[in-house]
Amino acid sequence: MLHYLEEELEQLRKKIIKMGSLVEEQVEFSFRALFEGNLELAETVKSRDDEVDKYDIKIDKHCQRIFALTQPVANDLRLIMTALMINSDLERMGDIAVNISERAEDLVDYSDLLKEMRVDEIAVKVQKLIKMSIDSFVNGDAELAKNLIKADAEVDKLDSVIFDLLAYKMKDNSELIVAGMHILTLVRNIERLADHATNIAEDVIFMIDAKIIKHSKDPENLENKDNS
Amino acid sequence: MKDYKIYTKDLNLYYGSNRALKDVTIGIDENKITSLIGPSGCGKSTFLRTLNRLNDTIDNVKIEGDVMIDDINIYDKNVDVVALRKRVGMIFQKSNPFPKSVYENVAYGPRINGVKNKKELDEIVETSCKRAAIWDEVKDRMNDSAIGLSGGQQQRVCIARALAVDPDVLLMDEPASALDPISTAKIEELMFELKTDLTIVIVTHNMQQAARVSDKCAFFLMGEIVEYNSTKNMFTKPDKEETQNYVSGRFG
Repeated sequence: MLHYLEEELEQLRKKIIKMGSLVEEQVEFSFRALFEGNLELAETVKSRDDEVDKYDIKIDKHCQRIFALTQPVANDLRLIMTALMINSDLERMGDIAVNISERAEDLVDYSDLLKEMRVDEIAVKVQKLIKMSIDSFVNGDAELAKNLIKADAEVDKLDSVIFDLLAYKMKDNSELIVAGMHILTLVRNIERLADHATNIAEDVIFMIDAKIIKHSKDPENLENKDNS
Repeated sequence: MKDYKIYTKDLNLYYGSNRALKDVTIGIDENKITSLIGPSGCGKSTFLRTLNRLNDTIDNVKIEGDVMIDDINIYDKNVDVVALRKRVGMIFQKSNPFPKSVYENVAYGPRINGVKNKKELDEIVETSCKRAAIWDEVKDRMNDSAIGLSGGQQQRVCIARALAVDPDVLLMDEPASALDPISTAKIEELMFELKTDLTIVIVTHNMQQAARVSDKCAFFLMGEIVEYNSTKNMFTKPDKEETQNYVSGRFG
């Protein structure tokens, strides 16, 4: 029984890591499609979303099987719960990568505007958060997860700056309203990627420290927020 | 320790030169279910049997330390052991009804405690059987031999027999380990109902059972308590790595 459980948990961890890598790459490809105007890459992202969805189902079924057959407790239970939650966030991130790729087609002629609106900057920050989220799970690193949660504030701040820049630009030049609306939606999507990365960081902290910190404003002040 | 129904302090028990319990200090809450878990030979059943002095019947046993029930040390010389066992009932792994009728099994305790009036005995038997959730199944079979009942029914008759002398503590040593899942569920439901009036201490090897029924849980290893915690914490975030390893089946 013990060997079986250990084996199952290791397989589950590997699946999450593989899905994490796949989604990280999907996001990277979608940004390259957007900023390089590479529509072939945008198509690749869209066609590979099926693979993400298949992983999502595989991981759900794997968790269900472990729950049913081994009745896990304590650390094992938290690992499986975390795997389920992270899986759901990764799957949503995969969908967002597809949305960004679709938006790349609409914005293929606006690479200068994207740069002027600092969309490339927010994309770099968000990619860094995604990498941190996956690394925090792989290495069981709660400190890295806490740093990620703090770093998310920078993304929110830049999101707000971009909103103001876009509003100003559209007021100034009504011909840019359509492109501006596309960019506004695009940036919302990018910001959502950061939120999902933050969710993963919160799940990793739950997995390691058994503390539930979601909805907490201050990841450092965890003790009072633990409502487990 | 007025906060606890049962309190043991620095409790040591030796079988000859073998120290089976090592400085066990624990407070057991009133009207709660406390489970004792741990691998075979860790001392949990030995500990359970110190709570009604059942180890007294074993040769070569030496006990040191205090075992307080309601702030009275039950190992004091002036404690009446028979009266103690009336207050602290016990249910064993294998149901052990007397080879008598269901009625005589349940009436046995009150009878030897001096209840002679038939009407009074009838009332005690009925109430005890109802409290043990066995009345509906045996009310028309009161004169049948208890040995003819199913294992689960026999175990509940034994519980009714223990309840008939109105104890305030019930010790259960793997009470459902020989029963099927339905009979096990009945015993567990019964425990929930009984804890409003009783303090229950249960030894179990079944981790899911400990998780389902108990409020607090003590993990024994080689005669010592490694961790004593709320059952919720024990199975979600135990403080000790040994506990994590045991409850998840990594050893034991």
